[in-house]
Amino acid sequence: MTDTSLPAVGARPAANVRSRVPANPFAILRRALVYVLLSIAAFVSVFPFFWMIVGATNKSADIIRGKNSFGSELFNNAATFFTQVDALRVFWNSAFIAVVGTALTLLISSLAGYGFEMFRSKVRERIFALLLLFLSIPFAAMMVPLFVMFSQAKLVNTYTAVILPTVASIFIIFYFRQATKAFPSELRDAAKIDGLKEWQIFLFVYMPVMRSTYAAATIIIFMANWNNYLWPLIVLQTAENKTITLIVSALTSAYTPDYGMILFGTVLATLPTLVIFFLLQRRFVEGMLGAVK
Amino acid sequence: MAYARLDRREQLTGWAFIAPALVLLGLFMIYPIIWSLWMSFQVGKGMNLSFGGFANIERLTKDPVFLRALGNTFIFFIIQVPIMITLALLFAVALNDSTLRFRGLFRTAIFLPCVTSLIAYSTIFKSMFATDGVVNQALMALHIIGSPIGWFTDPFWAKVIVILAITWRWTGYNMIFYLAALQNVDRSIYEAARIDGVPAWARFTHITIPMLKPVILFTTVISTIGTLQLFDEVYNFTAGSGGPSDSTLTLSLYIYNLTFKFMPSFGYSATVSWVIVVLVGILSFLQFLVARDRRRT
Amino acid sequence: MNRIASRRGLVLGAVLAGVSFLSVAAASAGDVTVWAWDPNFNGATMKEAASRYQAINPEANIIIDDTASQDDIRAKLQTQLLAGSTDGLPDIVLIQDDVAQKYLQSFPGAFEPLSDSIDMTAFADYKVAAATLDGKSYSLPFDSGVTGLFYRSDYFEEAGFTAEDLNNITWDRLIEIGTEVKEKTGHLLLDLDLTDTGVIRMMMQQSGTWYFNEDGSLNIVDNAPLKKALETYAKFYQADLVKPVSGWAEYTGAFTSGEVAAVPVGVWITGTIKANADQSGLWGVAPIPRLDIEGSVNASNQGGSSWYVLASSDNKEEAIDFLKTVWGSDVDFYQKILIDQGAVGSLLAAREGEAYKATDEFFGGAPVWQDFSTWLSQIPSVDYGVFTAEVDSAVQAQLPTIIQGGDLDQALQAIHDQAQQQMQ
Repeated sequence: MTDTSLPAVGARPAANVRSRVPANPFAILRRALVYVLLSIAAFVSVFPFFWMIVGATNKSADIIRGKNSFGSELFNNAATFFTQVDALRVFWNSAFIAVVGTALTLLISSLAGYGFEMFRSKVRERIFALLLLFLSIPFAAMMVPLFVMFSQAKLVNTYTAVILPTVASIFIIFYFRQATKAFPSELRDAAKIDGLKEWQIFLFVYMPVMRSTYAAATIIIFMANWNNYLWPLIVLQTAENKTITLIVSALTSAYTPDYGMILFGTVLATLPTLVIFFLLQRRFVEGMLGAVK
Repeated sequence: MAYARLDRREQLTGWAFIAPALVLLGLFMIYPIIWSLWMSFQVGKGMNLSFGGFANIERLTKDPVFLRALGNTFIFFIIQVPIMITLALLFAVALNDSTLRFRGLFRTAIFLPCVTSLIAYSTIFKSMFATDGVVNQALMALHIIGSPIGWFTDPFWAKVIVILAITWRWTGYNMIFYLAALQNVDRSIYEAARIDGVPAWARFTHITIPMLKPVILFTTVISTIGTLQLFDEVYNFTAGSGGPSDSTLTLSLYIYNLTFKFMPSFGYSATVSWVIVVLVGILSFLQFLVARDRRRT
Repeated sequence: MNRIASRRGLVLGAVLAGVSFLSVAAASAGDVTVWAWDPNFNGATMKEAASRYQAINPEANIIIDDTASQDDIRAKLQTQLLAGSTDGLPDIVLIQDDVAQKYLQSFPGAFEPLSDSIDMTAFADYKVAAATLDGKSYSLPFDSGVTGLFYRSDYFEEAGFTAEDLNNITWDRLIEIGTEVKEKTGHLLLDLDLTDTGVIRMMMQQSGTWYFNEDGSLNIVDNAPLKKALETYAKFYQADLVKPVSGWAEYTGAFTSGEVAAVPVGVWITGTIKANADQSGLWGVAPIPRLDIEGSVNASNQGGSSWYVLASSDNKEEAIDFLKTVWGSDVDFYQKILIDQGAVGSLLAAREGEAYKATDEFFGGAPVWQDFSTWLSQIPSVDYGVFTAEVDSAVQAQLPTIIQGGDLDQALQAIHDQAQQQMQ
């Protein structure tokens, strides 16, 4: 399906393969086209972020009227936001859930990815295939039985209930398994000769070598945990345990929503994932590299 | 497929590594899934359920809303996945050129959308594509359109906006996978082909695409699952209605409605969930099959 | 009580408890917890009520969680009632009237009947009826969704219309007036969202019908008021008087920015309109227009919700006492929330208070609250049934066709067929 649409546009990306040859007018034109297209793509990608920041500086009424320039309401919006929302508390909740959740997911899912790839057996391959299929079950279908379990364990309204179901992530296991294919087997053999046990190899050889894979996974998992909505919504009951994602989302449903304040909230809610991304992005690109080798 | 012979000890180590994940998945995934499979044979409303055999499956075939949701989901899938994968490939190939300036900048910019939070993104898209929003203002200023487009009020444009939005959010994400894979392709193959006079587009279809086939397959499967489960965008863009006129109602949104908005009809919503599983199973199988056939030729 | 909480779940639950860590303490016994949406409206009124109760009972501790949207509260409530698990539930929850019967009938025993301990005749009839099942009433009626036609008096005056011209008119007459207003001022009459059936439901209720017959079966194909409502809805579009919008931001934006001239809506919108202080004196409120058919009146309802006590609550007595003491009898409290939040309660005695008699400069010095009270007492009471959401979504599916002049009987048949299918 994908490649039927490719030949028509194939000429453009191929341009840069040729671009190493001494320039001819045709090649220069192509090159210019690549820059124009990439610039458009970059602009389209970044513009909504810019727009969000513009919104956060305007009054609600102006935003509704479609005002498209910077305003002077940033501090008022911030003040409204901080009086309505116990920001410290909700940020703590979000940060705790995202950080602990990410750490546990990295550990449990990378262990499994390593296990599936290094010790292949027929039974485990079957299990793996089955897991991939289960990746497609919509979460809404599993929510009620999950809730029953957590309420019987008296864990409703706890961070535990939010974190635990996300820790073994099939997608991340899949990702680590693919990445492990690129892990040099000589390293493992050498470590074995040195008498290291398998868990020691994992801890002292695999983890340091694969650190860029871990960096990449960190961004993906952190993002997912930070933005998680439906399950935390159901399982967190009291205001003091809720995450920033839940709180900002609820602000939009007031009879008279204050959009300036809400956009200020969304800027705040987006910041942590942006920071994590910028901190880890260099490693991230390398990490993805490992995943598909 | 042949497996290296593992001794008993290694077998045990293998199980030990995957055991924590399997226990957790068993509790939080397999158990709810089996529960929902059991539920899909139950009929009734609210708490009054009884065994109904295949009644829910029969109901599916006669349910116009289900068929609409299925149709919409397929339209999103058939149009959006190829567009996104093609764009991601194009960007990746363009950015893979080491002589290109500002590569890091372009790469970061195009990847950025997928780290945004869902509420931020849906709030912003709603405001940008409002009838008086910045997009219509810009299009009118450029004289591309004469009167504002009702992005969210017209059934056709509402579908377009959902496709635009998912493409915006996930193209960079897929691009990174291709970029990574492209860095493994041996440059000398391209050079040799070029010297042999193979035209650019033929090099793309005959070298780049085959080399990337495993990654394309991987991203296609992941995107297929993502699109068939499409919920976030349509829920947030339409205040949960899937409107106008059910034009953006997806299977996942329908499941949500059956569970939470309508008179709770649990067995039936579980049945719809299983439709997605079966569809993903079939589509993934077909995608693997297509990929395998091409490898042979 | 339920089959979902199987023994298997119990075992798994026990396993889970074993790995429990970082538990966060739940609200302690003796606290009354309340779920409500919108901190500036429902949340604020509940906080006022709580502080009044605490002034009488210093020991009482009422915890209000207003940090979830209405949809979110419904999802949480429904998940927990389906799971048969009650420890996550609050003591008091706010539920909108048109979905109340769905909860009462799908989850028998989940809510505490209040009519045994609270005198329901003190409240507006139609509010009590919405929460009554098998002779017992389950809610403490809160805000009324009594409707009015909020309009920009300056635009209408410019076009030569006074308040009297809008008094007790029909929707058809409104379309005539709106056409002239548009010609003279350039402003469209109103804004409509094709994913919201509010106006259509308003028209049905003012004519004393809903989507269902008394026995709960569908009343669509031969429902004259519904047909007339759809016809009127289409007329707005055909007369080119509608600004199409999508979502709450655009919907409220169109009338608060002065783009459209009027909005037929529930009284709870007052706060949103008055948030634009610079428009003071430029607004008026007229009785909601009626359908041009027998039995249709110039009074209707849109939205509005009530407080329910969960039967699983450990603090039922205290919760009920709280509702009874403040919400059931404190007339002064109702004056306060009317002034501060624009919340029109359903306690009949409250209407005799000072605030209800006051005039409002924002609305050109008209006694708007007195007007709303009068209309409130005229609202025909209808049975919202349990499948309103299903039929709503069937109606929405037909709206784009209807506004393009599609055949109404065919549309009604399609609505009927889809709804019938969904009600299985």
